[in-house]
Amino acid sequence: MFDNSEFRQVFLEELEEQIMTMEEEILSLEKQGSHSEGIQRLFRAAHTIKGSSAAMGYMELKQLTHEWEHLLDMLRNEELAMSRELTNLFFQCLDFIKDLQNSIIHEELLPDPSAVIKELERFSKANTESVAAAKEAAGDALPEEAEQVLREFIHNGQTVYRVTVKLTEDCMMKLARISIIDISLRAFGEVLWNEPNMKLVQDDQDIHAVRWLIATQEVEPLVLEQAVAGLMDVHSVRVEAMQPSQPEAETAAALEQEQDNADMLPGFAGGAAEEAADKPQQSKASMKQQTIRVNVERLENVLDLLGELVIDQTRLKQAIQTLHQAHGYSETMDDLGEISDHLSRLIGSLQENVLKVRMLPIEQLFSRFPRMVRDLAQTLNKNVDLQMVGGDTELDRTLIEEVGDPMIHLIRNAVDHGIEMPEERQKSGKPEQGIVRISAAHEDNQVVVVVEDDGGGIDTNKLRKSAVAKGVITAEEAALLDEHKALRLIFHPGFSTASQLSDVSGRGVGMDIVRTDIERLGGIIDIDTTVGVGTKFTIRLPLTLAITTGLLVKASDQTFILPMSAVVEIIRVDTSTLKMIKGSPVIKIRNQIVPFVWLHEMFGYSRTEGGSEKIPVVMIGRAEQRLAIAVDQLLGNQEVVIKTLGSYVGKVDGISGATILGNGRIALILEIGGLMKKASGIS
Amino acid sequence: MQGVEQMQYVQFGVGEESYGIRIAEVHEIIRMQEITEIPNCQFYVKGVINLRGKIIPVISLRALFSLDEDVYSKATRIVVVHHQEESIGIIVDRVHKVTTFHDIQPPPERVGGINGAYFTGIGLTESELVGILKIDEVLLRD
Repeated sequence: MFDNSEFRQVFLEELEEQIMTMEEEILSLEKQGSHSEGIQRLFRAAHTIKGSSAAMGYMELKQLTHEWEHLLDMLRNEELAMSRELTNLFFQCLDFIKDLQNSIIHEELLPDPSAVIKELERFSKANTESVAAAKEAAGDALPEEAEQVLREFIHNGQTVYRVTVKLTEDCMMKLARISIIDISLRAFGEVLWNEPNMKLVQDDQDIHAVRWLIATQEVEPLVLEQAVAGLMDVHSVRVEAMQPSQPEAETAAALEQEQDNADMLPGFAGGAAEEAADKPQQSKASMKQQTIRVNVERLENVLDLLGELVIDQTRLKQAIQTLHQAHGYSETMDDLGEISDHLSRLIGSLQENVLKVRMLPIEQLFSRFPRMVRDLAQTLNKNVDLQMVGGDTELDRTLIEEVGDPMIHLIRNAVDHGIEMPEERQKSGKPEQGIVRISAAHEDNQVVVVVEDDGGGIDTNKLRKSAVAKGVITAEEAALLDEHKALRLIFHPGFSTASQLSDVSGRGVGMDIVRTDIERLGGIIDIDTTVGVGTKFTIRLPLTLAITTGLLVKASDQTFILPMSAVVEIIRVDTSTLKMIKGSPVIKIRNQIVPFVWLHEMFGYSRTEGGSEKIPVVMIGRAEQRLAIAVDQLLGNQEVVIKTLGSYVGKVDGISGATILGNGRIALILEIGGLMKKASGIS
Repeated sequence: MQGVEQMQYVQFGVGEESYGIRIAEVHEIIRMQEITEIPNCQFYVKGVINLRGKIIPVISLRALFSLDEDVYSKATRIVVVHHQEESIGIIVDRVHKVTTFHDIQPPPERVGGINGAYFTGIGLTESELVGILKIDEVLLRD
């Protein structure tokens, strides 16, 4: 095979995009029922994948999409109707395409799609027959134009009959025969509509059945029937009194859609026309904004280089200061200072802009949820409407990746434990369909993501009892907790409110993991609930993970950085004022007892005793918790570029990453959640 | 296995022993750097260094092989290797040379008290035996 690595990346990117489109469309087909626009988009996606996978030599993918395309083609030609079974098959197809995608990414052997292909084939065969049969048998529903006329006449108090005539097989001149029937029918009333329309039919070979809608007065159906049945070449006649099939408002909307679809129809013809159908979308997109695709790695490299630039800039500043002290004032010195200032402004705005480049709409993450909620609701036999708001809210791409897992957990929980079974909802006077609502928005310098449901809510008393039973807190402590604190018990390690662990959202992780994940990102999670009304989780996240303002402190000759966002205040404490409670030191600040720790001891370093009695203490806070951390020295605050310690080092308790300081040295960035945990055993 | 003998290795010393790493796996060799300790980490991870703006972890082969504590000297080097898309530094006492082996024997179960799984083989030179490190196994995190 030729070397296609260069195209492979482009192919994979495109594939990913098409898969997302497909998932969206199948979901919307399931939700809104069959609409030809959706089927058309699905068809186009399958068609695109078919073409590109064939070009790349991924025959398995080509075969599968080819067969799918065939089925979709039948759907859009209305030779086949959407059904639940078909939706499930489509999802099955999509999942298989994802499997194939995975294998392509990992350069593994592609799995054999023949089982799914067979299923697709089976469907296309079985259903052509059955649809044709159904069409024949039912006499068929009326097209919209007929329905509309029908509605009008019935509305005016007239009686409308449908006359269905089947001609004999050996009828020689069908059109002429139909004209004669038409004339005789017109003697009884007004012909509102008929099919096929004789003016449009050129070739009468395929006509077997003809339908009329006739508005009459005081004619018995039987009279009509007999009048037609007596004519030559008529095989059978059926006359029915008609009612409009749909309420008016709904059909008006359907009509509108039908019209849209009619506009789309020419697009079905083939390649060129397909492109024409693409056009309006494209021009819309180009009007919105012009974008280019950038490899993430390149972007990361730019950010890394920028990080170095920031560091060098700081060093330059320090060097100038040293020079200044050594040589005093000179004009050149002044110039140098000005250049340095200018540089730092430039670097600052450069940094801001590069960070903006890293921002993506949270839509990317949101798009994963509809499918998940659908599958989950189906497994649990629940009826759930997923609503998503604020998909255009932008945040750092690493954040989008990282916040995915905790959100999935919350959403699963909402569907699994939050939303009640339909019968139960009915009993409590709620609509059967539960609502899970996800929203994202910017608020000040933060992103707020909310996951809420209109389910059963959480009973804090149950939480209290459960927490006592599990030994998380004592009965006395439980009684003292206010509602909000009791609710936060849910975030304690090893805590689960589900009376029975279901296999879907159990997954062996609890809400404590969700909280830890969020806090690792420098975020906060909060919960609000009302029994019987619903539960709401609010997540607040920083806009970016790449940069933060930190407080530099020194302990045991190492420099550490505390995120400024967690620093509540800085005080000097006389060590003699320390009190001991249960063997642990605490300090009393404005009538509040705060646990006290030495940063050195937390990390197992020795502490040089003595020196001044008053030591600098940084008070950090998270939610309602406070912790006083004693350090050797405060070095001031500065912007730091956050770098991870990498997956080889992995997660380290109390440390979220590192940064490179102006002097080229590395300083570890402390993680508040981990520190709190370390300080107290359990937080 | 024609050609295996012609492969080039970076030969270095830790304590009394000689080890080798396939040259293709070695990204670069640098002098000892200031290491920033990471508390609460695996015992063999000595900390992180600043490699031209990148933060990379460095590990101690001595710690991993349960030898005496590291003593850094002028000869101490950090061999930077690639492992699962990350750069990782390995502290060694000294780097000898780039070499080839005329013969490579399969590793015994234990090599001087060290788990044989750490080695792809034992390389033979005119004068000594060199344990060829299986980088993925050495850097494997449990």
